[in-house]
This record gives sequence, structure tokens and C-alpha cells, in this order.
Amino acid sequence: MTNLKSLRLFFVSLLFTGLTLVLGTSELKAQDVANGADLYKANCASCHKLDKKMVGPALAGITERREQEWLLSWIRNSQDLIKAGDEQAVAIFEEYNSIPMSAFMHFKDEQILDILAYIENPPVVVKPGAEAGGVEEVVEAQGSSTSTLFIAILILLVSLYAVVKAKNALKSASDEEVVSLHVALKRWLKANPGVMIVLVVLVVIGGIKVTWAGVFDTVGMAQGYQPEQPIAFSHKIHAGENGIDCNYCHSSARHSKTSGIPSANVCMNCHTYINEGTQTGTTEINKIYEAVGFDPETRTYIEGYEKKPIKWIKIHNLPDLVYFNHSQHVNAGNQECQTCHGAIEEMDVVEQHSPLTMGWCIDCHRETEVDTDNPYYEHMNENWADKFNGEKITVEKIGGTECGKCHY
Amino acid sequence: MAKEKIYFQSMHELENNSILKEHAEKEFVNEVSTNEFLGNEENLEGNSTSRRDFLKFLGFSTAAATIAACETPVQHAIPYVVKPEEVIPGIANWYASAYFDGHEYASVLVKTREGRPINIKGNTDAPYGSGLSPRIQGSVLSLYDSKRLTAPMKDGAATDWNSAMADVKTKLDQFAGSNEKVVFMTSTLISPSSKVLIEEFKAKYSNFEHVTYDAVSHSAMLEANALSFGKRVMPTYRFDKADVIVSLAADFLQDWTELDHRKQFAKGRNADTGMMSRHYQFESNMSLTGSNADFRHPVKASQQGMIAVAIYNAIAKKAGQPTLTVNLDSKLNAQIEKAANDLWKAKGKSLVVAGSSNVALQLVVNGINELLSNYGSTISISTASHLKQGDDAAVNALIKDMKGGKVAAIMMHQVNPMYTLANSADFAAGLKKVKLSVSFSGKADETASECQYILPNNHFFESWNDAMPIDGFYSLAQPTIAPLFDTKQWQDVFLAWMGSEMDFYSYIKNNWKANVLGLASWSSALHDGFFSSAVEATEMTFNADLNKYAQELKKEASSAKGTELTFYTKSGIGIGTHANNPWLQELPDPISRTTWDNYLTMSVADAKANGFANPMQSNGGVNGNLAKLSLNGAEVIVPVLIQPGQKAGTVGLAFGYGRMNEGKAADNVGVNAFPFYQNFSNTQYNVSVELVDGEHEFAMTQVASTMMGRDKIVRESTLEEFIANPKVSNAPMTLATHKGIQPLSKVTLWENHERDVHFWNLSIDLTKCTGCSACVVACHAENNVPVVGKEEVRKSRDMHWLRIDRYYSSDTTKENATADAGYEGVGGAMDMFLEMEIPSETPEVVFQPVMCQHCNNAPCETVCPVAATSHSMEGLNHMAYNRCIGTRYCANNCPYKVRRFNWFQYSDNNKFDFNMNDDLGKMVLNPDVVVRSRGVMEKCTMCVHMLQRAKLDAKKEGRQLKDGDALTACAAACDTGAMVFGDALDKDSNLSKVKEGPRSYFLLEEVGTNPSVVYQTKVRNK
Repeated sequence: MTNLKSLRLFFVSLLFTGLTLVLGTSELKAQDVANGADLYKANCASCHKLDKKMVGPALAGITERREQEWLLSWIRNSQDLIKAGDEQAVAIFEEYNSIPMSAFMHFKDEQILDILAYIENPPVVVKPGAEAGGVEEVVEAQGSSTSTLFIAILILLVSLYAVVKAKNALKSASDEEVVSLHVALKRWLKANPGVMIVLVVLVVIGGIKVTWAGVFDTVGMAQGYQPEQPIAFSHKIHAGENGIDCNYCHSSARHSKTSGIPSANVCMNCHTYINEGTQTGTTEINKIYEAVGFDPETRTYIEGYEKKPIKWIKIHNLPDLVYFNHSQHVNAGNQECQTCHGAIEEMDVVEQHSPLTMGWCIDCHRETEVDTDNPYYEHMNENWADKFNGEKITVEKIGGTECGKCHY
Repeated sequence: MAKEKIYFQSMHELENNSILKEHAEKEFVNEVSTNEFLGNEENLEGNSTSRRDFLKFLGFSTAAATIAACETPVQHAIPYVVKPEEVIPGIANWYASAYFDGHEYASVLVKTREGRPINIKGNTDAPYGSGLSPRIQGSVLSLYDSKRLTAPMKDGAATDWNSAMADVKTKLDQFAGSNEKVVFMTSTLISPSSKVLIEEFKAKYSNFEHVTYDAVSHSAMLEANALSFGKRVMPTYRFDKADVIVSLAADFLQDWTELDHRKQFAKGRNADTGMMSRHYQFESNMSLTGSNADFRHPVKASQQGMIAVAIYNAIAKKAGQPTLTVNLDSKLNAQIEKAANDLWKAKGKSLVVAGSSNVALQLVVNGINELLSNYGSTISISTASHLKQGDDAAVNALIKDMKGGKVAAIMMHQVNPMYTLANSADFAAGLKKVKLSVSFSGKADETASECQYILPNNHFFESWNDAMPIDGFYSLAQPTIAPLFDTKQWQDVFLAWMGSEMDFYSYIKNNWKANVLGLASWSSALHDGFFSSAVEATEMTFNADLNKYAQELKKEASSAKGTELTFYTKSGIGIGTHANNPWLQELPDPISRTTWDNYLTMSVADAKANGFANPMQSNGGVNGNLAKLSLNGAEVIVPVLIQPGQKAGTVGLAFGYGRMNEGKAADNVGVNAFPFYQNFSNTQYNVSVELVDGEHEFAMTQVASTMMGRDKIVRESTLEEFIANPKVSNAPMTLATHKGIQPLSKVTLWENHERDVHFWNLSIDLTKCTGCSACVVACHAENNVPVVGKEEVRKSRDMHWLRIDRYYSSDTTKENATADAGYEGVGGAMDMFLEMEIPSETPEVVFQPVMCQHCNNAPCETVCPVAATSHSMEGLNHMAYNRCIGTRYCANNCPYKVRRFNWFQYSDNNKFDFNMNDDLGKMVLNPDVVVRSRGVMEKCTMCVHMLQRAKLDAKKEGRQLKDGDALTACAAACDTGAMVFGDALDKDSNLSKVKEGPRSYFLLEEVGTNPSVVYQTKVRNK
């Protein structure tokens, strides 16, 4: 990704250089746009956007609207300018609710000019559609593994047919008895009844197996369930790229039986400032604003707004007959979220990773060792030392596979 | 060995009823009702379904089920938009609060899940009021009552608050100048802030008057104290400090005045230390208190006055005081003498109480307590109780004024006079003459529906309130949910009428800061739910001429004629405030084991004399003959139930039933007793009871079982015997084998279980259990136990996981009777059998809570064909509902009959139209416990979900489990300490200590089930 970005920047700067060379009008030609971009993101982006008002005004075309000298002194310390009674400065200060802009006394002229160069030459926006295509491709590739097998078998059958046909044509040419394929097969089977029996048994067993797998193993099972959510939230971006801790949003996983779908106010902790996503632009983030009643233009909450809860689609559905407690596993059992949920940080759209069947639960309870260092087990450890004699103490051994531990 | 006794569970068992014997052999009294669909031959013949059709149906339904199963329904997860900080989904929040419904008080903790109150328990930190009655325990369901009003009403139509309040205010202002009264009629109010508010209101409207009306009157006690001490108050009692208690029909273990008496009483009953009070009860009905007495003497209500006088005289003689000039002729002389002797021996540490509504009797009782110097030790007048303030005279005056047109407006809160007044017709006539009638009732009950305006009050879970039940103890009630409907609490309405901007919360806070808290913190009082302050003891001198009152009593005793009717309240329904609560309707009466009914209790002798019977039907149900009960114009047809222990010549009837328009659970259940409660007197003389045609079907539990001759189920001894030999009546059982006599534990086919994690045990002390049944309702609420309705209970299909068996016993055996009667020969045999009837006249009672015993060698586990029930390492018998296929082998093999089968789907089923059939009622369900479906077996889990949570909390906090962390719902609800739950591996736990004690025994231990539930023998101090 970073490679791509620098590549893009390289091309952009190349283009820019080319343009400036051709036009030869800009004074900023010597400035480093890439450096400006970095400085802009680090210092300006939290309050300014190029094309939109945020805390401060939109910056596109600022070099045309203001004198360079004025900009330099404003950015260094806007308050000095205001105190000095500069008309422009006072006007802009009042327009934006008298929120003083941070002073950047440490900036050198060069650096400020780099930023302004970046503002004049904004990055080329990549359309979200392009990346979506990539995802589809991957899906196709996954689907092809079974179809390849089918095609191979089909080719094999066709070629077999062709060979027999050819052989028969040869035979008929040489006036030998022509035996059609199925007659030949029949004869051969009659001659070899053992093969017939084996075949029948195989078919029966296969049939049972297919029925079993198709009906009983999958009834009520939803492994791979990947519904479309009301907001195209990407765990890949949040948990993966931005590295947000799972517990930040799913805060009750440590305390409660449910992991907790975060309420919209948790989203707003960040999305008060981040109004635009890398994949979907503003459309998805605006849905949060719609829910909580936040106006991104004025950056204020709408008073008296009737909040609209977000109807997420539940992916991991355990039946009512079983009791599952997240905190038991995450907190007392020290399990990672990924153990059951898979590599969630790589999923753009979340799917059910595990089968969530009782067999799957039990398997894990048979394998997983109990954290006997927890002081809770202190008085039991004395007994266990003799009883288990150094053996691994699994959840099963302390009653973790008993019916009433999960069913009540 | 204690005396040979005979035990019986019902009159049918005592009489060795043939139907009962037949049923005893079966697990289920009723066969599966195939008759419903196979019995109708005509229908079957007219049916043209052929074999081919059958195959088509089969094929179609299989295909349909398969197709339907393919599509998994989409489930949504809808989080908060802005999550309140204090809510973590899946974690319960507890709030300290206070409960008061005009009748009973409790300091409570309310459990909320995701903002919904779902359970309630006593606030054990509070020094007062932590014991809950079944009614308070069940009150959480009344919040989700579908009959609650959703908006204010005007003349029967919904209106809005602004116009309704403005209307009433305009009229109040109009009346302000006139000399007609504006009356605010309430039940007893114990909220200090509300009283200040009423005073302020009174200051604003000079014609405003406050009348306190209690449906069940305690005026007699208040008057007696006014006459004795010059102060119209109710004293507070300390039953725990009394060594000898004599109660003249005061049902103090139930809802006589304060619920705390039960806890106090149990505190004073320690068999193990020998520090055990002795309790005498003289009463006509078999009350809960009487059934717990060491000596219970059935007496007519009219004679109670004379007994009080006799006790007074006996003690006065010992004290060298002048006796009352009244002579007594009674067969009870010996018993009275014994009681008086005991009282005198325990002078200063004894207690005499009376439940009578006769002022003279209450005065004599006060006199006895004065003679015994009990004031200041077991009775305190200076620390008064405020739970009963009703003034009968004021109510009578009000009705007179209303009829005389002197009342312009009446407003009512927490009262329902149209239902509870004997002269409700007078009240109705008066109400018609009143220009403005306003009710603050949350429901359109009998009275509210007659009022012009109903301004529905919030449920107590939705309100701010405060309370001062006794002097020096203040508590706060806080809302635990926002009002479900468009309701307001009446104090807020009053404040608005007074033009105040303040809400009642601020009002309470200001009042507390000014008058209650002193320098203490409001926040900590709110957090704790209570605030205690010291009460200054004031000297009171007893001053009354008892001779005059003794004469009155003598006159009453000699003039009382005919059958006497005495009223009582039941554990479940009380005075009917919660009549629409199906949990409480289905709660079996602790004594009669009857659900969904009230009835006339009658003695065996009277029933026989007048032709009343309780025939047992072939389906195991019990019927009752109907009686026409009439008195001074009041008349009702009521079923009769023969009650062992009822005094001949008396009948009893419970309040709280026969509600109209109260809701689906309450309406048309039982009969209303209040029309007979004339002149606020709890005993009525010369009542006519006439046998009329027809039979009533009762729904009783426990009737269809017999003890099968096993008399070791209940083990009891007297205190004296117990002290002499702690193992008396509880000798370890042995079995004769080829190796000689062996202890029971040696003779077993089972392998021992290794216990190294926890070993959960529950101990139940029969000495301390009063049979109050709070645990049964707590179990209902905690475990989503369904209500099945009267029909099903009658078929012995009740679903209670925890039942309280009641055993009558008597030491009158055939041999004793022969010896006592001293007759021989043919004529002698007749007399002997007459004597034999005495068991039902003066039975002793034992209450025995029975739930799944969690056998360590469980008979149910071995017979389950699908291993749906299995044993855990922690000593529990687990039940996996989703694995159960409903063979019912387990129930058949259970020696304790504690398994319950879901014959039907009890949720979302119109045939079982209780709380689980409406969306509102379902909000009370505990989300941690599954709602069972049709066709599976269920039973007590020993609240395994609570144990798991306690363990998890300890693990998360990285600590060992402490004794008391893990509790079952029943043990948590038991305020007498009869139920002790804990880990038997923890040698320091309370449970371990109790379990090792000499009184421990297992139920049916000869069966060799080795249960995890252990019982403690019953010890009586006699």
C-alpha cells in the first residue's frame, strides 16, 4: 500500500513538475509536494479539508485568495495577526466561531510553502469501484477450485467416449463385432460381480454420507454466513489497517456474556473528525450521522433529533438453548477473539468463521488447558497435583463438557 | 425415640381414601388425554382420511419442514444509539429501593437487565425490612401487567395529562372558597415527604382533608394504645427477644403488622443451641402462625377475650396484683395455666399479641404485657411502627358526609373502597353526590372505574418515594425504569397543582436534607437505600381500667351465637392488591395447598354434621360442596374446604379474591369476603352457612400423593428430647445384610464421586421454615417457571420446581385412643373411632420445602435413554432440555416426584393466557435461563446459572470463591435462615457446619440416593 502511495505521489509530482515546466508560471515550483503532503496530514488535516469546511475553512485555492506573506504569518501565529487588527484575520476568525487556530511557530518558510504546494496540487482521487473489482476476482478464484475438478472429469469422460467411438469405428471398419459402451460395461460387470458389489456398497455409503453431511450436519449451521450489513463497515480497515483494539468497540466482551455491538456514540468518538472513508467516501459514515443526528456541515448534534438505531444483522446466532459467555472465554479463559471468529482483522465483510456446533465447542474444551494460575483454583490445585500428576488439565477435566455448564 | 405419631397430608389420606390409593401407584394421576382426539367416535367415522391421504400428508409435511428448515431467519442485533454509561448488556444492575403498597413494607434490591426490572430481593444491609413476602417477591410482575392504564382517563375515555390536570385544578380552585370538603383518601402513607406535601397542600386549600383508610383495619390496636398510653400508635415488637410468645389469633408470621416479625421469630428459634422460644397460639382458623406454634389450641374467636382475661388473672395472681372480676369456665384452663406459668417465668422476656379487632381485648393484652414488664424490652411504644394508620371512624364519617352532600371532591390513592368496603353500596351512593371524583389508581379497578377522572400513578418501580416504616428508619425508593406508559406519580401531580416547578425527586431531596439526614450524605443514603437515626426512648405509663373491658369481653363471649366467621389473608394474594399476578394465584396456600381459589374453611365435625364433603374425583381432583353464606344482607355462594385444625363452630374465609375488572388472572377467581367484613370487625357472629346444590372443583397440589407408609420423611422431636439426645428421632439408618447390620452408606451399588472442584449442598431447617412460600415465588421469577392455570393444577400438572409439602401430624393413634377412651368391647370401639377423629381437630403441622434433591446416586440419570440428565462434578443433577425426548422415565423413577413435565407449550399459547402470552408480561423473563418448550422434562437446577456466574466473577477477579458468593434463588429469598446454601468442600462454610450437625438427615435416605439437599429435623419447644 505504501508503495502504491509513493508511486502515486511520484507520478503526481512528475505530472506536476511537467506542468510547471510547461507553464512556467508558478512560484512554487521548487517546493516538495510530497513533504507538504506529510506535513499537511500531520498538522492540518484534523481541522481542514481541501474541498470542504471543517473546523476551519476549505483550503483549496487558498493561495489564490490570500497573499503568500499573509499566509505565512497567519499560519505561524494567527492570534498575533488578529491582535494586530488585521482586517482579513479578524473576519476569518469571527466567521469560524472565534476558534483560534493552533500556532505553528516552529515551521520554516520552506515547510509552509511545501504545504501550500500540496494544497495547490491535491492528490488524484482514486474511485472506490476499482478496488471492489479486485475483491470480486478473489471470490471467483475461490469458486473455481471445484469447477476445475468438474471440468477435468468432463474432459476425461468426453475423451473416453471419443476413444471408444474411435475404437468402434475402427472395429466396424474391420468388420469386428461392435460393442457399445454400456453393453461392454454390463458384460464386464457380469464377469466381475465383486466389483458390482463394491460399487453398490460405495454408492449406498456415499449416498448416506452425502445425505448426512447435507442434511444433518448443516441443519441450523451457518458457517460462512456473510450477510450484507446496513452499514458497510470494514473490520479490515478498523481492526487491521488502523489497528484498533477489539475491546475498544466490543467493550463488554471482557465483562459480559455478550461482546456487545458498539453503540453509535462509540463510532462518533473517531467519526466526529473522520467524515470520509477510503473505500466508500461519505455514504457509509453519513449513516452513523443519520443514526445519532449529527450534522457534518455544522459539525454539531441536531437538537431534539429522534435517534435512529442501526439494525445490524446478527451473524453469530447461537440457539436459545445454550448459554455462552464471552467474558468466560476472553477474560477468565484468556482466549483470543480470532480463535472463534477467525482473522476478523482481514475481513472487509464479516462472515461466520467457525461452525458454532456443539461438537466444535466440545473439541476445544477437550484441548484447551485451564489457567490454573488464577487464584480461584488455588485450593483445588493441591488436589489436582496428585490427581492429574502433571498431565495437562483441560477444561473437560474440571467439568467443562458437562451438559449443565452450558444448557440451563 | 419420639412418640409414635401418625402423619397425613390430607383428610383423604387420613381416611385412607380408595381413589387416592389407586393414584398413589402412578407417576401421573391423569393418563395422556387421548380421549380429546380419539374419544369422539362419530367424528372419527365421519373422517374420510384414507391411507393414501395419510401418506400425502406425511410427504407434504416432511417436505414442508425440510424446505422451511433451509431458510435460517435473519436475526438483528440493535445496539443503543447512545449507550448509558451504567449499562453493560448482559450484566445486571442492582438498585436499592423500598417497597410499600399501603399494606406491607420491605427494603429491597431491584435487579435490572438492560434497563428492565426482572427480580427483587431483600436488602440485607438494611436493619429493617429485608424479609420479603411472596407478594412483594412477585410484585415485579405487576409492573408488566397488561391491564395497567396507558393514559389518564376522563369519564371512561382516554385523555391527555394537560387537560385532565387543568380540569381538576380548575374545579379544586372553585371549591376552595366553599365550605364543602375536598377529601384525599389514601391507604396508610409512610412517606414523610408525601406527608409534608399533603400539609403544604392543606395550607393552600383550607377545605382539604386527608383520610387514611386501611382495607384490613388495625384501628382496634391503635385505639387500645391510645387508651393505654395516650398515644394512637402501633408499637414495634421484638419476637427474637421473647422467650415465650402467646398469640391470640395474631397471624404475626404472615402479614399481621410487619413482615420483620417472621425473621425475628426464626432468630429466636435455635434448636442447636437450645435457645428456643416457646410459642402458644389460640385461634379458630388454622393460620400460618398457628401451624408453626409449639402449642396450638383451637378456640372460638368469641372466647379469645376470656382467654386473655384468664391469662391476665393468672399472672396478676402471681404478681400480687388485683385480678379482674370475671369468672371463666373453660376446658382450656390447664393450657391457659401452662401458658401463664411460662409467661411469668419469662417475665420481661415474653410477649402477648392479639389479632382481634376488639379494643377491649387489645387493652387486656396490653395489660398482660404491662404486668409482665414487656414494655421496653420486647415491645417498644417509643419506637412506633407506622405501617397501620387507618382510621375506621374517619372513613365512616367520610361516607356519611359524602351521602349528605358535604363533600365536593374526593381523590383516592392506593385504596379501592368499592371492593374492600363492606358498605360499598353506601360509598357508591356517596360517590354519586360528589362533584369531582379523581382516582390515582394505576388500573381501572372497581373504584377507579366509577370515578370521573383516573390519573394513573406510576408503578413503584417507576417512582421516587421515601418511607419511614418505623421510627428511626428511613428508606428511599428510586425508579429503576422510565414509566412504561403515560403515567405520573401523584406527588408530581400535586406539586403541579400547587404551582410548583419542582418534581417530587427534588422535593424528597430537599425534605431529607432539611429534616432527615442531618450532616449525612444524600448520595450514600440513596446508594444504600436507607438511613437510620437514633430514637429517643420516652417513658409511657399504662393507664386503663381493665375491669370495665373485662366485663365487655365476658358479655361478648356469652352473647356470641351461631357460627363464627373469621377472616384471614393468604400468603399469595393478601388483600388482593396483586390479585392479577398469576404467580401468586398459582402459589399453593401453605396450609390447604389450594391454588386459584378462596373457600370457606370448616372443621371436620361441622362438615360431617351439616353434610359438607370434599369428595375426591376419579381424576385425582378434589371437589367441594357449595355453601350459601349469609350475614345481614350480604350473601355469597362459596365452596367449602374441610380444614383440619379448624375450631368446630367456626368458619374462615380469605380476603383478596372475587375481583372484578382487575385482569385476566384475577377476575372471577374465588369470592369477595369484604361484604362480610362489617364494622371492620374480623370476626362475625351468627353467620348462616347453608348447604346448597352443586360442587366446586378445587385445584390442589399434594392431594394426589400419599406417604406410602414412609413416616421417616419428616423427623421431629421436642426440645427436651433433643437436648437429652441430639440423635433422637434421627438415628442413622442401617440395613441388615449377609454381613450383619451395616450402615446405609456401606450398602450401595454405586461408586463414589470424586469431589475436588465444589460440592454444592443445600440445607433446609424444618424448625426454622415457616412455610411462608417466598422461596416458591422467587424460584418462579428466577427460573422462568411457567404458570399452568387452574385446570392443569387440578390434573396434578403444576410446574413448581420447588414445592412446600405440608404434613399434619397427631400423636393420637389407635392404641392411644383406646387407652384414652378407656372403653372396651363393641360400644368401646365406636368411642375409640370417635376419638380417632381428633387427629384432624388439633393437628401439628410441618412444612417441608422439596425441590430436586440432586442425588449423587440419581435414579433418574440411569433410566434416561438419551442421557439428557446427567451428574456434574459439583454434585448437581443436570438437565439438558434440548436433549430430552420426553419419555418421562426419569419422573417415574424419581422417588421425590420433583420432576415436572411440559405437557404443553406454556409461552405464546392462547390456552395459557398468562404473563408468557403477552409481550409486556414476557419482559419479566430472566434472559439467562431458557424458556422450556413442550414435551421436555424440567426441574430445579439448583440455580446453576447463578453458581456459574458466581464462579466466573471470582475467576475474573482472580480470587477464591467466598462463602455466600454463590446462592440459589430460594436460599436468597429465605429470610428466616431455614435454607443454607454453600460448598460442602469448604469446611469453614456455613453449610458445612450445618450439615455436620446432629439434626441432618436425607429425605428417603433408605433409598440410597445420597442427595445434595440435606434436611434438619423439626424441633418443637414443648
